[in-house]
Amino acid sequence: MKKALSLLMAMLITASIFAAGAKEPAAAQAAGTPEDPVTIDLWFGAAITEAGMIPEDWIGYDILRNEHGIDLKLTMLPSSESDQDMKIQAAGAGNALPDLFMVRRPVLENLVNQGLVAQVDDCFEKMPVRTAQQYDADSIRNSSFDGHAYGFASPGAIAKNEGLLIRKDWLDNLGLAVPTTLDELTEVLRAFTFDDPNGNGIDDTYGYGAFVETDASLKGYPGSRLWPIMGAFGVEGLWCFDAPNQGLSIFKPEFYDFMVYLKGICDEGLIDPNWLSYKKDDFRAAWKQGRFGVMYEQNAAYASESNYAPFDMNFPDGEWIIIDAITGPDGHAAIGAYDMNYRIYAVSQKAADAGKLDKICELLEWMSSDEGYYLLGWGQEGVNFVFDENGTPVAGDLGDNAFTGSKGQVYTQLRNMVFYNSDVELASRYPTYTTAVSGKEMSALAALRQMQGMKWTSGVGSGTLPTPSADVQRYYDQSLAEFLSGSRALTPENWQAFLDQFKAIGGADWNAEGIAAMEAAGLVRGE
Amino acid sequence: MGKAKDPAAVMKKSKLRREIKRHRSIYILALFPLIYYIIFKYVPIWNAQIAFKDFRAIAGVSGSEWIGLENFREFFNSFYFWSLIRNTVMYSVGKILISLPLSILLAIAIYECTRPILRKVVQTLAYLPHFLSWVIMYGILLTLLAPGDGVFNDIVKLFGGHPIDFLSNTSTFPWVVLISDAWKEMGWSAIIFIAALMGIDVSLFEAAVVEGATSWQRVRYITLPSIMPVIVTVLILKLGTILDAGFNQIFMLYSPQVYSVGDIIDTWVYRQGLLDFKFSLATAVGLFKGVFGMILVIFANWLSGRLSDSSLF
Repeated sequence: MKKALSLLMAMLITASIFAAGAKEPAAAQAAGTPEDPVTIDLWFGAAITEAGMIPEDWIGYDILRNEHGIDLKLTMLPSSESDQDMKIQAAGAGNALPDLFMVRRPVLENLVNQGLVAQVDDCFEKMPVRTAQQYDADSIRNSSFDGHAYGFASPGAIAKNEGLLIRKDWLDNLGLAVPTTLDELTEVLRAFTFDDPNGNGIDDTYGYGAFVETDASLKGYPGSRLWPIMGAFGVEGLWCFDAPNQGLSIFKPEFYDFMVYLKGICDEGLIDPNWLSYKKDDFRAAWKQGRFGVMYEQNAAYASESNYAPFDMNFPDGEWIIIDAITGPDGHAAIGAYDMNYRIYAVSQKAADAGKLDKICELLEWMSSDEGYYLLGWGQEGVNFVFDENGTPVAGDLGDNAFTGSKGQVYTQLRNMVFYNSDVELASRYPTYTTAVSGKEMSALAALRQMQGMKWTSGVGSGTLPTPSADVQRYYDQSLAEFLSGSRALTPENWQAFLDQFKAIGGADWNAEGIAAMEAAGLVRGE
Repeated sequence: MGKAKDPAAVMKKSKLRREIKRHRSIYILALFPLIYYIIFKYVPIWNAQIAFKDFRAIAGVSGSEWIGLENFREFFNSFYFWSLIRNTVMYSVGKILISLPLSILLAIAIYECTRPILRKVVQTLAYLPHFLSWVIMYGILLTLLAPGDGVFNDIVKLFGGHPIDFLSNTSTFPWVVLISDAWKEMGWSAIIFIAALMGIDVSLFEAAVVEGATSWQRVRYITLPSIMPVIVTVLILKLGTILDAGFNQIFMLYSPQVYSVGDIIDTWVYRQGLLDFKFSLATAVGLFKGVFGMILVIFANWLSGRLSDSSLF
């Protein structure tokens, strides 16, 4: 028995050593012809994750194989950013990254530090059409580290696509004007909370609605949904780029004033008390149920046909309007801070070592050709879309097969790899429509243009600044949350103690690194 | 010169062979889990060495540089180390203290129920929450506990009270975690106790009834002592995972307002270790948890053997 056990242990140890030491055999270099195509494994961010994968009969596969000698293998990344990060990092840890993959900048930085991602400085000139369309100096900087590009950063979400909205029907019911100052906003919030703005005789409304939406680069706690209020104090955005206050906004004295104001409206019950518990979907369900009258929302989430329909059905007489930034006590006003958003696609070092870089460039260049652009963006002409009289791709009478239909939409899963927010794309994505119940004419594009025209603060470059360690991030978020919830008294002394401790555990270093990075990149304004 | 074979050893070996042959179907059944454990649990142990290395994916496990105990030092020196340990142990022990007795009670209640239909309905309803993900559970909890329009707070307001933000309040959050876990897992955990109850000799209950024992006396003097070895086994196994406080649940429920009572080792590892590509650090913490759990299991097993003659090994 002892012998058997010893043998088993020996086998386990041997197996584990072999498992760890096993190397993939070097594959023979493919010719890149239709007969011997180069395989490119692409992990992409799907346009509509819930719609499913591009079918195997997609014509794009044949075009790539027959005309470019590329055998494209597609894998959809998870929809949530943290799940995407986990998948990419896990693949990175196993040195099993795909040839081409979408990645966020902080993760890309980790992979670059590990030597897992290829430099692509020489690739841009191999893709003249795509580079002219998608990659300018800002975008290349966004995917660069130490002066070298490690990815292709395409335009992502449209900048300044969010806005401050207010229920106009509630204002009218209460005989109130659109607020322009913080004092006026406070009075409106009070009236929306206590004066029965919907006239149903029930105490079921609140002034402001929000949820905590943060990140470690642009949207510091308590997050962008409070930006219009933060903007009134000049502390919108995690980072301030204006000399002499460049650095983390938390160190500006006005941040304390903002916290006092926010705590005040929380304590008075003027903000939906669920805001600290809401996730994004809960928040969106809440405004459609008429719980609050002032919010910060994204253009399509507010005005696209499917998103507006529930509100239209619940409140045919209801009306949201987009208003400009609220002016604070010192004259500050901003809807929020904006950065340029990019979707970065990186090439693994493994793929570069296997000689696939040129074929990857060829693939990307094809995607941005007329053929690739329309095929990936809208599908096949006549099958999934038709051109209208303005040259805009529309669904026409194509029914379910149209790019907007349940069958046709799967053919556009790669569209975010070719879209660059052109007028044609926006007109196609955000068509004007008439609401089903109230008969209002709505357009998410009109909402977008209106939102973009409001007062915004530039936070361009925030995405390239250093991010804090998990402990520093937790201390920052937790402390502000505790001040707001009242578990820590919000007094000048406690605030100073918080700042001192924050600096001590790493906040000072984070701030210094951020300032150095923004100065090195020439991002500081007014020096 | 060859050594003469010991007849006793030869007999023992052939007896083992006969036993294996006779119960070959059982051994074949056991083979699959054994292979699973070898491939997925034992072979990866090799990779645990990165806990002592500065792991670089490009260099691989073997090629990465040894850095001794640096990763462990980073974990132990974390600003929140003691808070993480406190929270993790609080939830683990709390879950044992709340869930285990409730599971036993539920199992006994189901076992004692004399109406088959009612028993099946209760059993099914009790199992059901186990199959819901924590994402769905979060939605249910928000509906029940939200300060604005949650069912509980509607009742609180009805009686003139002030709404409580159960999920964002440091006093109430731990209770939400513990009670929601008990609700979700109680039915599932009861299965093992129901199985143990099924194994009790029915004649013991019949004799007790003849002797005039009440229901409570039957439970106290027959049921509980009979399933005590199973309770001890479950308790010992749970001690082995005392530093696993339920990542999925906490990750879904917690928020910055309750980090002070909500952040556990696994959520910290997720943020600090995995999202920041510190796989060596994550492995070091995993190793620490495993070793700590093993020590606890050995100790609990020894203690149980000394105190109650019931132990795992």
